[in-house]
Amino acid sequence: MIANKKEPKTFGEVFALLGDLYKSEGAASFIQQCLTLGKEPTPAGRWWLFSIITTLVSFAFVMYQLIFVGHASFNTSSNGVNWGMAISTYVFFALISSGLTMIASLGTVFGFKQFMPIAKRSIFLAIITLVAGFSVLALELGHPFRMLWAVPTGMQILSPMFWMGVFYTIDLILLIIKFYLMWQEDWDSGLSHLVGNLGFVAVILASGMLGLVFGSLAMRPMWFGAFTSIYYMLTAALSGAAAIVVTTYMAYGFDSSKMRPELRALASGEELPKVFATLIGITMVMILTRFWVGLWTNADGMDGFNVLVKTPLFHIQLWLGLVLPFIMMLSPSMQTRMKPQIIAAFLVLGAMFINRYEFIIGGQLVPMFKGTWAYSLAPYFPSATEWALTVMGFGITLALYALGEKLFVLSATPPTSTEAERSKLAHV
Amino acid sequence: MAKWGMVIDLEKCVGCQACTVACGMENTRLPGEHWQDVIFFQEGEYPNTELKWFPRPCMHCENPSCVAVCPTRATYKAEDGQVLVDWERCIGCKYCMVACPYGVRFYTEEKPTYGGPDMKDVFSGGKGDHSWNPPWKAPQEDWKHGVGVQPHDVVSKCNFCYHRVSNVPKGTADLDPQNPATREHTPACVVTCPTGARFFGDLANPNSEVNKQIAYKNGVRLLDHLGNKPQVYYLTGEGGSVPADRAIKPKI
Repeated sequence: MIANKKEPKTFGEVFALLGDLYKSEGAASFIQQCLTLGKEPTPAGRWWLFSIITTLVSFAFVMYQLIFVGHASFNTSSNGVNWGMAISTYVFFALISSGLTMIASLGTVFGFKQFMPIAKRSIFLAIITLVAGFSVLALELGHPFRMLWAVPTGMQILSPMFWMGVFYTIDLILLIIKFYLMWQEDWDSGLSHLVGNLGFVAVILASGMLGLVFGSLAMRPMWFGAFTSIYYMLTAALSGAAAIVVTTYMAYGFDSSKMRPELRALASGEELPKVFATLIGITMVMILTRFWVGLWTNADGMDGFNVLVKTPLFHIQLWLGLVLPFIMMLSPSMQTRMKPQIIAAFLVLGAMFINRYEFIIGGQLVPMFKGTWAYSLAPYFPSATEWALTVMGFGITLALYALGEKLFVLSATPPTSTEAERSKLAHV
Repeated sequence: MAKWGMVIDLEKCVGCQACTVACGMENTRLPGEHWQDVIFFQEGEYPNTELKWFPRPCMHCENPSCVAVCPTRATYKAEDGQVLVDWERCIGCKYCMVACPYGVRFYTEEKPTYGGPDMKDVFSGGKGDHSWNPPWKAPQEDWKHGVGVQPHDVVSKCNFCYHRVSNVPKGTADLDPQNPATREHTPACVVTCPTGARFFGDLANPNSEVNKQIAYKNGVRLLDHLGNKPQVYYLTGEGGSVPADRAIKPKI
């Protein structure tokens, strides 16, 4: 895994490599190398160790709370906010995953060749962010394992959540197949194109169904309507774009001079910032339309929008997280430079996290028929366990990303570049 | 097949919460976990204001949104019209709670809402997977129909006293607590109501008392515009009213 200059191409090779390393290095050195991802320090190795520790600590804390306190360690309540930050974190990761698949599809489905250098990385990240999202969701559910038999035997086709599960499962399977094909350097076969095309359709339906989970509820007017699915699909694309900008630079230790030429051309070209700015623009317009309808209407239960615009989070999201990056990505002097791109992408990711939180929690703020004590807005602030669950989601994503960065050549492109170049740059 | 429904006459309801207490005793509810509750709300602004109230059980809707959203069919519409939860299928995703317009569903694992000690801790360690082990509890238990003390991490709700109603002779039109033959089959809240404000019967039978009450006294349903079509009707008469919108307007 670590000493080899070439990407192993089969699972057999991966395990053989690990076995050889174990034999040649001895147990202690093998474990040490696994924990630091190799002898020489690399960016991936550093954040691997950090994220694996973060994941383990937060997971241990969550499990301790769930075993000894149960889900009462969450601050959610039957009288107010039923779905808390765990759900908004799940939505955040699931939509990043969907967005990344859309970004990968720019190259693999729609034939924009200049986006090919980020296609494999996007697909890999889409897989791991979905895994992170599902992990968070599983720890939020009362009986996650029961779901495995109760959902397929129930076949409740009326439930948006059922379809969300169906399409995200199909999405995950297609992503894994697509990544496997890319790993095998099969970019151009009929199968590869078919999987890519089907994956794009699946991801549109999956993010749309996630929107339907909320959009179908007439009794929750802040979520209700055909707009919600569209909103989820298009803002997913922005989350994915931000995630791929951050993680691409991250893989090279935030130093673009170490990138492969095609990738550097994409990073310092105009296309990526233009796509990024367009997606920020679309998101801002969608937030605007959502809020101007919400603020104007007299419809019962929409009062929550008046509350949301008064929160600091909303303004951080809008001005710092969307407007500022939008200006940065439009400015000719900044859009092609590394630092502004990274800052913009981080700000957008933060904004999208707030956006999911505000969407999920905000939609439940106005109380329903809950008794004399529910006299005002539902109070909610995430508990330590809920924060830990969110941290765990980020930890899982980072750890799996570092591992993938080490195991695979994530910046691989269809075989136009020479083998020599690939092996030279494989372990940057 | 019956289509059980309830009529609540708000002209007779005095807001005493006896129904809430009777339900809690009958169904071994935790404090704050009120399957049946009386909601008090204020109409108007000071000094022209009035305190109003209405009892709120589960509406056992004809078109229940909670049943449609449940990804596992744990929540289902029973043959005789009750909306029930199968605690052996429930995965605790809380989608039904989010999708219920009437807020009648409760998740088991929560911090107590009343500020006191958590009764689940005080009386913990029930047999099997019971979420708590109260020193006294009603004998009936039927997890497939959401009856009894529930297990951990599931959603619970009013089951129209399924254990009482389900064994009534077929074809019964009215479950009248005044009638010795049907009293023990009548839901606890109906039996206990000191002013006789509640009626329980078969909405599918045109001769039932509930249908007569609805017809003669203009029965209305809560939040009817949402399309859930409750099987609980309110008679507002001259004195009572149900809110047309959310009971409590947030102070913004």
